[in-house]
Amino acid sequence: MSKPILIVGGGPSGLAAAQALAGLGQRAIIVEKESRLGGAPIISGYAKLVPSGEWAKDAIGGMVSRVERDPLVTVHKGCTVAEFAGDPGDFRATLSDGAKVSAGAAILCTGFTHFDSVNKPEWGFGTFQDVVTTTQIEQMISSGKGVRCPSDGRKPQRVAILLCVGSRDRQIGREWCSKICCTVSCNIAMEIREELPDCHVYIYYMDIRTFGLYETKYYWTSQEEYKVKYIKARIAEVTSNGEKLIVKGEDTLVKRPITIPFDMVVHAIGMDPNVDNKSIAKTFGIALQEQGFIGKGSAYSALGETSRAGVFVAGAATGPETIDDSIAQGRAAATTAVAVANRADTVAA
Amino acid sequence: MDTKTQGKERFTGHGAEWRDAKLSSEDARIATGWVELKVDKRSMLTTKERVEDVRDVMWQLEKDGEIVVHRISEEHHPVMVKTLYGWDKKIPTTRLWHHKSCGQCGNIPGYPASLLWLMNRLNVEYLDETDQTSCTAWNYHGSGIGNLESLAAVFLRNFHQAYVAARAQGLPDAYFYPLVHCGTSFGNYKEVRGYLLHSAKLRESVKKILGKLGRLVDGKLLIPEEVVHYSEWLHVVRDRIAATREIDCSGIRATIHPACHVYKMVPEDAIYDDTINGGNRLAVSTGIMQALGAQVIDYSTWYDCCGFGFRHIISEREFTRSFAIDRKIRVAVEEAHADVMIGHDTGCITTLDKNQWISKSGARPVELAVLADCQFAALACGAHPYKIVQSHWHASPTETLMEKLGIDWQAKKAEFVAYLDQVKAGKQENLYDPRKMITSGPGFIPIARAQ
Amino acid sequence: MTHATGTRVQTVIGDPVSEKPPVTPAKLEEIFKDIQSDLRYDHELNGCLNCGICTATCPAAHYYDFSPREIVQLLWTENLEGIYDAMQEKIWACAQCYTCAARCPFGNSPGGLVMLMRETAIKHGMQSAKNVLRPFSRVMLKLISTGNQLSPDMINREQFADWGPNISKVDAPLKILRKAIPMPTLNTTATAWEVNLKTSVELYTIWEETGVLKQLETVDENLFDVISDIMDEKREDWKDFLADQEDAKDE
Repeated sequence: MSKPILIVGGGPSGLAAAQALAGLGQRAIIVEKESRLGGAPIISGYAKLVPSGEWAKDAIGGMVSRVERDPLVTVHKGCTVAEFAGDPGDFRATLSDGAKVSAGAAILCTGFTHFDSVNKPEWGFGTFQDVVTTTQIEQMISSGKGVRCPSDGRKPQRVAILLCVGSRDRQIGREWCSKICCTVSCNIAMEIREELPDCHVYIYYMDIRTFGLYETKYYWTSQEEYKVKYIKARIAEVTSNGEKLIVKGEDTLVKRPITIPFDMVVHAIGMDPNVDNKSIAKTFGIALQEQGFIGKGSAYSALGETSRAGVFVAGAATGPETIDDSIAQGRAAATTAVAVANRADTVAA
Repeated sequence: MDTKTQGKERFTGHGAEWRDAKLSSEDARIATGWVELKVDKRSMLTTKERVEDVRDVMWQLEKDGEIVVHRISEEHHPVMVKTLYGWDKKIPTTRLWHHKSCGQCGNIPGYPASLLWLMNRLNVEYLDETDQTSCTAWNYHGSGIGNLESLAAVFLRNFHQAYVAARAQGLPDAYFYPLVHCGTSFGNYKEVRGYLLHSAKLRESVKKILGKLGRLVDGKLLIPEEVVHYSEWLHVVRDRIAATREIDCSGIRATIHPACHVYKMVPEDAIYDDTINGGNRLAVSTGIMQALGAQVIDYSTWYDCCGFGFRHIISEREFTRSFAIDRKIRVAVEEAHADVMIGHDTGCITTLDKNQWISKSGARPVELAVLADCQFAALACGAHPYKIVQSHWHASPTETLMEKLGIDWQAKKAEFVAYLDQVKAGKQENLYDPRKMITSGPGFIPIARAQ
Repeated sequence: MTHATGTRVQTVIGDPVSEKPPVTPAKLEEIFKDIQSDLRYDHELNGCLNCGICTATCPAAHYYDFSPREIVQLLWTENLEGIYDAMQEKIWACAQCYTCAARCPFGNSPGGLVMLMRETAIKHGMQSAKNVLRPFSRVMLKLISTGNQLSPDMINREQFADWGPNISKVDAPLKILRKAIPMPTLNTTATAWEVNLKTSVELYTIWEETGVLKQLETVDENLFDVISDIMDEKREDWKDFLADQEDAKDE
């Protein structure tokens, strides 16, 4: 029997990889730095996922329990990989809790870090309590507390959602699109309107990228059924007159500057490379691509290759990614990893 | 969260009625718990891999033998600060060459005078001389007469003079380091320096011109290590200045007007300090005002331009005054109930100070004392409001502010009027030895350094 | 340079009810080429998402029919007629605050592009530029001849009536008030600070070598003549000074 495959990170892609491997009769070891599995949807308290509409704690929680119950999967929580060496078929890793692991291949499912809006101070995060992020809104919904203004707990009457915070922005060196925030923001807008029917929600955008079938389900539905408003205006600054937050933009389609008061402003934050990527790259001896995400090989040969043979990558570790696609990539990388681990074994024998 | 009961009060951060929200630790954890890693805000994630630091290009050019860098040395007693992305900037605090501002010297002479007075207070060594041209940027931005080459040549000419100015006193080159007074000059010089460092073509043509003027160093262009604005100097010495404060400023509500060309031109080179405005807004001017004990009050048009316009202030002031009055002065008065508007740039102070009187012609006149940060600091440290701060040139009601500070301005004014007789007799008081102001050319008298 | 694309008329079509001669496509191309060939152009214009953040913050957009986004779009799409039209009045509305540049997610500088268009408008002697700059001539005279942009004697009730009745709240002759400034370099009335002859002469070299005098000549010939005279005079004085220095050395 071949050695187990090391999966670094227990989020959607890591869980999917582990499940795929177990399904093939292949042992897997998950190393997760947090004290629980589930990745961003669980750790950051996401509410309803897109496009399924299922609660994160059910959907991803379900993946977690399936993996934790599986006899072929060993899980190490609360630790990281401190050392890693060897060749395809014969890797040796030491974990930060001292445990030693032998593996035939490794799959990096280390994910991303949410963009921290303090990098865009002119949009009010950190200065005004009622400026929050999409993640915080998710937490308000998933905790059951509902969407409320942090400053005084009231129900907001007017909410602005600013898209592309930390994305598509040369000023802070983040020139990528974070793929899923348009859809997530449409979703959140509908959730806010559902909970607070008297609340008006406005989305300020440069483009709307509710791609594929998300277009109808999110962009059209949010307007027709939930009366969410979309304005093509990137907001310049968020300030306050002491009572309301003031948002300044140009409505580019009617070509006029606008200055509008809101109770709450939501930043649709982007997906940054994992803040640990430099040390991950060093530990595993792999290359990062120019934006700081983990570099991938060609999609046409074997999905999920990194610059080092035997080490694979899946999910948001490679760049902004949806949960569904991270799951798919996790399974794909598992297939490639199994092939490598087994072949190497056969050759060695 | 059930704090709705306190009437109309709003808890909105830095507004006029700000109060601590006093979240329970559980609520606070939920609100911020998603931050997995506590990272230093300013070092944050916008590293030099993401945005280029033009100074790296500069050091490389010096290594390649293309330019000479005018360094800030230990003798300048530098203080390190952090800029927008958490990068370091070196601010010299002594042995400074004053790069004066046309508008300040022409219109608001108390502005530079207050700065030099504060420097005297702190025993800072400096040189103020005649061999300086205007940066020419006001004219350029206003009229379009000028071009990148002329701006670059003027920049390097003035900074070369700063480099060699100490020769007049028998001192070595690089003794003094230039300190830029005007926000427009500061923004202009930062921008031009960027182009000089990136364009070999520009360097070549400017080198020829400076060669003609005899202003090369070892046959190469001299580029300053940092372009430093006086507000940055004021910021790093603010505690030393506050230690000499004589007047209680705690009752003063100040609004800050940050200058566009200071923090929006080459924004990565402006000071952001985690202890000032939480690192979310420009640090200069707010820092000194808070160090002096004044209250800095936020208002909704903090980020707005003053409306100077460069051209508009001269020939189309309907625009300038509309913007200044409606979007700045009125907001500061009505939202923040301010006692003074503090700025750190010539154009802004001129615009905000001079364009209030005209509001009397409309239905809703408004007025607010307008001063530069160093003028306010000098006042708070006991400088004479007329002999030093030169408040008589201000059209805005600086008298109201002085009353609030407990300064008997009428008495001071009378003193000043009496002083004018002394001036008429040729016996004016000076902040430094006038013989030092000419360093070469007609009128130059070499004087040995007194020490 | 590749041919400009976009909305370009193929034949010369002027405004049928206007007396003004139409501008030829060749001229329009020349003007655009002048703007585009400045070394700052590629740095200041990278693309445009039409997000509107520049216009959001623009002070001029509040009060004028001006939008930095429109300027960028015209340049980016190489709309030659639109660019020419914008150069007539619109570009002079810009207040040069550079908030647009500080906010643009592409790192463009619409304010900077406006400056390139202004320089080009002057280079081509556009009447609109001359009209707009006429009231600026006092500043230009002061700047080019002395190297100071604004002097104390320029601020007076005639030129700045809307600044209030009192230039100074202490009533005394300007000369005395200026001497009462404790900075010796500021005891002047005709310049903001005392300017050394050497400094002025150096500045003239810069004006000449960088083509600024040529710009001035295009915009205002009379002003140019006045300034040329001043420059010649000062240069003579400088020559005399140098000669005196030589004599003094020999003695």
